[in-house]
Amino acid sequence: MSYDLRIQGGLVVDPANDPEPRVGDVWVRGGRVAEPPATPDDAKAARTVDARGFVVMPGGVDVHCHIAGSKVNAARGMRPETQRGARFPGGDGVALRSGTAGVTPSTFATGYLYAGLGYTTAVDAAIAPLGARHAHHEFADTPLIDKAFLVLMGNNHFLMDRLRSGEGAAVRDAVAWLLGATKGYGVKVVNPGGVERWKQGKGGVATLDDEVDGFGVTPRAILTGLTRAVDELRLPHPVHLHGLNLGLPGNAATMLETLRAVDGHRAHFAHVQFHSYGPDDPKSKLFGSGVAALADHVNTHAGVSVDVGQVMFGETTSMTADGAVGHFLARLGGRKWMNLDVEMETGCGVVPVTYSDKNHVHGLQWAIGLEWFLRVDDPWRVALSTDHPNGGSFLSYPKILALLMDRGLRADVLKTLPGSVRRRTGLSDLSREYSLSEVAVITRAGPARMLGLADKGHLGPGAAADLTIYAPDDDKERMFSLPRYVIKAGEVVVEDGELRSGGLGHTLHVEPGYDRGILPALKDWFERDYTLQFANYPVGPEEVANPVRCPAGGGAS
Amino acid sequence: MNADPAKTTESQGAPGPRRVVEDVTCLLCGCLCDDLTVVVEDDSVVEVRNACEAGRRWFAQQAQPDPSPAASVDGQAVELREAVARAADLLSAARAPVVFGLTRTVTETVRDALELAEAVGARVVLNRAAADLGRVAAFQRQGRVAATLGEVKNRADVVVFWGADPARTHPRHGERYSVEAKGRFIPEGRGGRTVVVVDAEKTATAEGADVFIPLPPQHDVAALVALRLWLGGKTLGRDQTRTADGFDLAPLERLVPVLRQARYGAFFFQGRGPRHDRSGADWEAASRLVRDLNDVTRFVLLGLGGPGNLAGAEAALTWQGGFLQGVDYRLGLPSPLDDLATLDEILAAREPDVILSVADGLPEDLSDAARAHLAAIPRIVIGPGATATTGPARTVAIATAAAGFDAGGTVARADGVGLPVRTVRAATRPSDQAVVRGIRERLRESGVKLS
Repeated sequence: MSYDLRIQGGLVVDPANDPEPRVGDVWVRGGRVAEPPATPDDAKAARTVDARGFVVMPGGVDVHCHIAGSKVNAARGMRPETQRGARFPGGDGVALRSGTAGVTPSTFATGYLYAGLGYTTAVDAAIAPLGARHAHHEFADTPLIDKAFLVLMGNNHFLMDRLRSGEGAAVRDAVAWLLGATKGYGVKVVNPGGVERWKQGKGGVATLDDEVDGFGVTPRAILTGLTRAVDELRLPHPVHLHGLNLGLPGNAATMLETLRAVDGHRAHFAHVQFHSYGPDDPKSKLFGSGVAALADHVNTHAGVSVDVGQVMFGETTSMTADGAVGHFLARLGGRKWMNLDVEMETGCGVVPVTYSDKNHVHGLQWAIGLEWFLRVDDPWRVALSTDHPNGGSFLSYPKILALLMDRGLRADVLKTLPGSVRRRTGLSDLSREYSLSEVAVITRAGPARMLGLADKGHLGPGAAADLTIYAPDDDKERMFSLPRYVIKAGEVVVEDGELRSGGLGHTLHVEPGYDRGILPALKDWFERDYTLQFANYPVGPEEVANPVRCPAGGGAS
Repeated sequence: MNADPAKTTESQGAPGPRRVVEDVTCLLCGCLCDDLTVVVEDDSVVEVRNACEAGRRWFAQQAQPDPSPAASVDGQAVELREAVARAADLLSAARAPVVFGLTRTVTETVRDALELAEAVGARVVLNRAAADLGRVAAFQRQGRVAATLGEVKNRADVVVFWGADPARTHPRHGERYSVEAKGRFIPEGRGGRTVVVVDAEKTATAEGADVFIPLPPQHDVAALVALRLWLGGKTLGRDQTRTADGFDLAPLERLVPVLRQARYGAFFFQGRGPRHDRSGADWEAASRLVRDLNDVTRFVLLGLGGPGNLAGAEAALTWQGGFLQGVDYRLGLPSPLDDLATLDEILAAREPDVILSVADGLPEDLSDAARAHLAAIPRIVIGPGATATTGPARTVAIATAAAGFDAGGTVARADGVGLPVRTVRAATRPSDQAVVRGIRERLRESGVKLS
């Protein structure tokens, strides 16, 4: 049987299957990586890509970004100034749509730019259940890449009520129902209970054991209850957590306490850079790095993974379901501010931010992010992210990779930053340099494993034929910015930097089974509190673009 | 979305097939009530439960038999295919086409209309008044602290209607969202809320309010600024509370403790300036006041929402084209509509050479200059009743099913909440989405080099 595609003679970097890069071929049939031919006679492919001298990796997988839905669209609508200078036309010959790039690219542009970067899968990390319909609309207009989203649940009234009354089974069933109703992929927890506090007008610092007024639960109970539910449902991705006190000095202590709270469970800690601030010494008011102790904990607890949320200098837009953080940033910067409280579910804040290399705090944030990459010993446990667009655009990933691969480059940048950045972080002591295999881990193999996407992030037989082919270059930023080829599901979609296709990727989602006995209680709650009908809440199957139902709940699919 | 079969029941017997559709969304006003039950017998609407009177009337009207042709070209009835071909020819030959309307239809149609607009290099002009663009401009300068309506229902102990009279324009708003509605933290409903109305005269909403303060519309900005100053602890002297024309803003000061003491306040604002005023100064002043209130307590700013799916159309325009204020595809890439952005402005500047209206009728208050240019260019109209012979002449007209009656899909409320639109009856006309796609397909087949 012949093959559709042969990628010949490249340096294959496939750390999930081989710890060392190795020159060889990758064979593709029916959109998947196939077993290599048994005999030379079988070694025929409809198309051969000559990859000799090139580096071949699985397609990139982004475990945490914000690319769709009401918050992203609010940022686009509120900040036309970031799009005016970044408009581009549609394609001639290839069916490409026009769009805008900038801080929050339009939908079509998002797909093209991710694919152009060699990324073939991206997970939007924060969609309110009530915003699911809108997010799927945008996904249907986001071409080339596979998409999924995580569903915000950490301030959900129904779940908090059930957690208070200790109804673990009801929590589990409601989580499963919410995932199926939204066609979401995983469970996101943002400032558990804290967003509800903010909506109640009780801002301010919370600890894991502060009770949420009117609900009688603590952030700790919400977090551990949802962590347990996700484990019991055997979802492919663990609870994805944005913890308490994001962005506040001294929050490393909160993060350490939170890490301990989920001990024994799987958990993914998002954009940890924003949660790793000293002072270690409470008497000192100086903001500093708290990464060392946190990374030590991650190094010794196998169930925990993190993505970094690296800050890069420049103009961006902060967007978060943590409404209190939005308010904090709005007061700090005095610039425009969009807030949306979402009934029964969550909040949302969108604020312009300019990260400046002259600013002591911004410099620290940059260094603290890099410390995370360099202090987590096992690259499988740390994923590359800027929390796009919060710390910077996903388009800055190549620049970050260059910094990780070259300590000289880091030192050069560090020299240009305020002196306090060197004194209050450990970055200048870290001499580690990432290898190509390690780059492949933090950009594709690791995130795919964290997400439980068994057919992504590697090039073994049966894997999705999503590949990126780079031309080796001493300038790593250039190397990772401009892949020579990108292949999605066996189709060459980028060739010599040009888009060759505008096809639509898939929408990945889960629908775990649940006890339908939960439905009357959900319906009662809806009819009492929501402003729409229970029957009008779920996203219908026809509203999901190219759906792929991923296994969850031990074969419920 | 088609009607969920589980939600409809059909039974045989006199006087004819009976169909009961539940959880129907009404597109008549910005409330987008989604709890209607519509009963259809023999293709007639015999009962509409839960709707307001205007909603009931709308459903009954949609069910009236429509004898007008499926399609027409230059006033003559033609086959649908011929009308589609003529529309495609006109659009591909145009140098400055405009795609207009898109608010009385579902978001799915808007997405396809945007693709068509891009393909023919058109300006996309949603059916919005200049004042709506003022709201957009204020958002782009200030942002907005907002919430979904359920937050108002469940939390708002102070509700301000400023220039907004939902009792008249959005009949079920108070019952479903803002006044009588009971919620988790407002179990008493109306008794748990202080309702404030600021308006030119004692409106229907003001009749039921706890506080009414008269204010002519031209003083909105001054009044909102004064409230901000009072809130910030400033004392305003008599000369400072008097406007240039002698109106005294001092009575508004009594609102300050009401706003301050709110646990969660909801400020419903309707711009009341002249329809052609697109400065957004009023929305900006309201937005800044509500932002400041969030340093004291929680407060959110909302509009009542325009009819139909304006919010959904605005959202799709933004995610595809990148610009909430409108998009011009004439150069083959999305340019923001900054100067000429309403249909009236664009027509009065005599720029368009073809106009394609999808779903919406023309604004009632087009200027004479705009009407004169409209009469001079080819006009393609796609929508319910498009082929009727009343109104300005249409070069091409294609009658479609009506979104919310016999055409489905999804819409968005002004607070961003998305809702499915169910069909209550089988359609006898194509949907506007099918027609828009038909034109796009025709352009592809004819191989015309576009834009």
